[in-house]
Amino acid sequence: MGNDQQKGSYIVRNVRWWILIAVIALVAAACGDGGAATTSAGETPATTAGEAPATTAGEAPATTGAGTGDLAGVELKVWGGSSGTAEDEALTELLNQFNSETGANAVFEPQQDMTTALNTALAGGDPPDVFYVDSNNLPDLADAGALAPIPEGALTEPDDIYPSLREAFTYDGTWYCPPKDFSTLGLVYDPAALEAAGVAVPTTWEELAAAAEALTTDTQAGLAMGVEYPRWGVFLFQAGADLTNPDVSEITLDTPEAREALQFVADQYASGSFVRPSDVDAGWAGEAFGQGKAAMTIEGNWIVGYLDQTFPDKEWAVAELPAGPAGEGTFAFTVCYGVAESAPNPDASWALIEYLTNSEGALAWTSAFNVMPARESVAETWLNDHPELEAFVTGADYAHRWGFAPGFGDVIGVFNEQANAIVDGDATVDDLISETVSAGEDVIS
Amino acid sequence: MNVSGGSGNRPPRSNLEEEKTSTTLKPPALGRAPHRARLDKREPLLGWLFSAPAVLGLIVFLVIPIVAAVWVSFRDWNGIASIFDSESVGLANYRELLTDDGVRRTDFAISLRNNLYYVLGVVPTQTIIAFILAVILNQKLLKGKGFFRTAYYFPSITSSIAITLIFVFLFQTNGAVNRVLPFQDIDWLDNARGVIHNFLGVFGVEGPAFLTENEFMGLELWDWLAGPSVAMVAIMMLVTWTSVGTFMLIFLAGLQNISPSIEEAAVVDGASSVQRFFRITIPLMRPTIFFVVTLGLIGTWQVFDQVYAGTQGGPRKTTFTPAYLIYFQAFTNSKAGLAAGIAVILFAIIMFFTWVNRKVIRDTGDF
Repeated sequence: MGNDQQKGSYIVRNVRWWILIAVIALVAAACGDGGAATTSAGETPATTAGEAPATTAGEAPATTGAGTGDLAGVELKVWGGSSGTAEDEALTELLNQFNSETGANAVFEPQQDMTTALNTALAGGDPPDVFYVDSNNLPDLADAGALAPIPEGALTEPDDIYPSLREAFTYDGTWYCPPKDFSTLGLVYDPAALEAAGVAVPTTWEELAAAAEALTTDTQAGLAMGVEYPRWGVFLFQAGADLTNPDVSEITLDTPEAREALQFVADQYASGSFVRPSDVDAGWAGEAFGQGKAAMTIEGNWIVGYLDQTFPDKEWAVAELPAGPAGEGTFAFTVCYGVAESAPNPDASWALIEYLTNSEGALAWTSAFNVMPARESVAETWLNDHPELEAFVTGADYAHRWGFAPGFGDVIGVFNEQANAIVDGDATVDDLISETVSAGEDVIS
Repeated sequence: MNVSGGSGNRPPRSNLEEEKTSTTLKPPALGRAPHRARLDKREPLLGWLFSAPAVLGLIVFLVIPIVAAVWVSFRDWNGIASIFDSESVGLANYRELLTDDGVRRTDFAISLRNNLYYVLGVVPTQTIIAFILAVILNQKLLKGKGFFRTAYYFPSITSSIAITLIFVFLFQTNGAVNRVLPFQDIDWLDNARGVIHNFLGVFGVEGPAFLTENEFMGLELWDWLAGPSVAMVAIMMLVTWTSVGTFMLIFLAGLQNISPSIEEAAVVDGASSVQRFFRITIPLMRPTIFFVVTLGLIGTWQVFDQVYAGTQGGPRKTTFTPAYLIYFQAFTNSKAGLAAGIAVILFAIIMFFTWVNRKVIRDTGDF
């Protein structure tokens, strides 16, 4: 009897266990679904997975046009690698305006480590609706098929956006996302120091070398500049050279022009009129300049906010970069608003991006910062508010993009390593060229 | 119900328990044998059932990730698209890291060299210092033991990122370290020159031809012998300072396990304190030393936080470590397959060194 009783209770108890396990499993599964459901199926049944492929395939104009009307209640998650609270607040304010006009609910979620967070979200199949994409990161994302191209008609007057910036977000002939703003490199200098040394603002390499030499004293270097490709590269452009050809299928560094440019830069460091920021105990060139350890530096728009905040008494001005033998050249650094190929609600995402990047949105966004609007039509209006930054805007005319091919980080790593070795006196320009070319050919092939 | 609700499912483990069961179940002589037999049959299932939460956790968070990492290392995954869309590339990732001439093999070789010097520097130093501290703290006459224990252990429980950032300030050219040191200022975190190269340079040795002309894994033999860069030495000091406390505690626990009677017997036999330390303390501490060195090896081969927060691999890649390279390749260079390959090789390296360590400690022991 006892045996039967036991047997029965054993089964009963086992069943209970299995039920418990099943419940736990179901709860876990439900939680997993829940996350995705809130952004897609939950709020906007009409625009879920079923319609998404059709939108990108060609029906875009129609759906986008209609889409703006039914944004009420749509949840939109915007991710960005934020530069600070000022940017968070400015973007949140723009999103709030968008929300009050359309009834959508777009929220900005700043990310500490944007690339890592975004890659993980994309690989996990749960990407944010709209996210920042750095031009340097675009080839990786586009090559992986993670980005949705801009649907036709999603943007008003796309031709108004600077061609060099459109180019920066074009991969394999497809334009993926509109820039939110851009920055260029300019020559930032201390007018008082130049006056004291009796030199004019340099406009050519010869003048730059002479000015840097004249400005160099025991406590002040002529020019502080990071030893890395995103700075040294501008001298390549000014000499008519480049690291790669335009479609990044070939490394083109082994040319007399490139050699001349690199040698010019190397000579300036060797003579002590250029310094590496860390050599004067500064974290970056802007800090060295702000502390008065260098009279000039080559930096971008971001230095303006930094100087205003950290060195409010520092006097500074910006000029265009001095021209080299082949003319002018600078870098444009830019970030766009991207939409994932697997975006749950692409229509709403593009509607938001349109709002943020049309001429009105671009101007509203950039007025809060020192970055420049990506649209030519509003450049003048912006300049009226920031007349001292004209040199940065002019740079857009001849700026080169910052971005190469998937996996190109290794090559830039080799360039930077060799460039530092040159400054340390452990390598020559020829070493840099041969090492970089062989690394580049490895990666491209 | 009552009967089974008692201890029916559990096999009797102790005599006491067996007696209890036998008194509750009547009649004991007849009912016991079949009951036991059935219990034995259920036992494995129930065992699994009860350990299921833990086993499930291990499978989800340990077994699957490890298997997945090995699997990914044979694929061309970019870390962005779905992993199932990636292509199988066989051994291509490993070839790129180990045999194919190219930038990735050179980078990997550089990271291995850096980390090897790092391990050679940190593991002995932290083990010896921790041991000495533990022996000092184990003295019966020492006052304020609690204070010292806390003080030494404190760095170990502080965030490594926070410590690194503070050390970055200390190691600035005009920072506290250079102020305290009597010789000329050193640019600690920006000096890429290897200390062995520097040392040989004093004697005018500048890379003999047979070392500069031959290379292994794309890196000149002379560069393999560079030694840790000054920046790496700074990181080594930082890490030693941080980790000594934990190992000191482990040693202290080991020392307190040694019975005072052994020590007393040695005193009676007329052994000096030095003899007692080398003939009694160290042999008896051998298992603890093995444990500490093994933990040290595993930890040092995985150094990441300090590099990430302190130097980002620079200056001139001299603080690149395999763990940092994994991060770089997987997250900023979209080469997750390659990164997984590095992880698997790193795992093999750690296994190898642990095995060597085990061999050495065992073979030299006489017990």
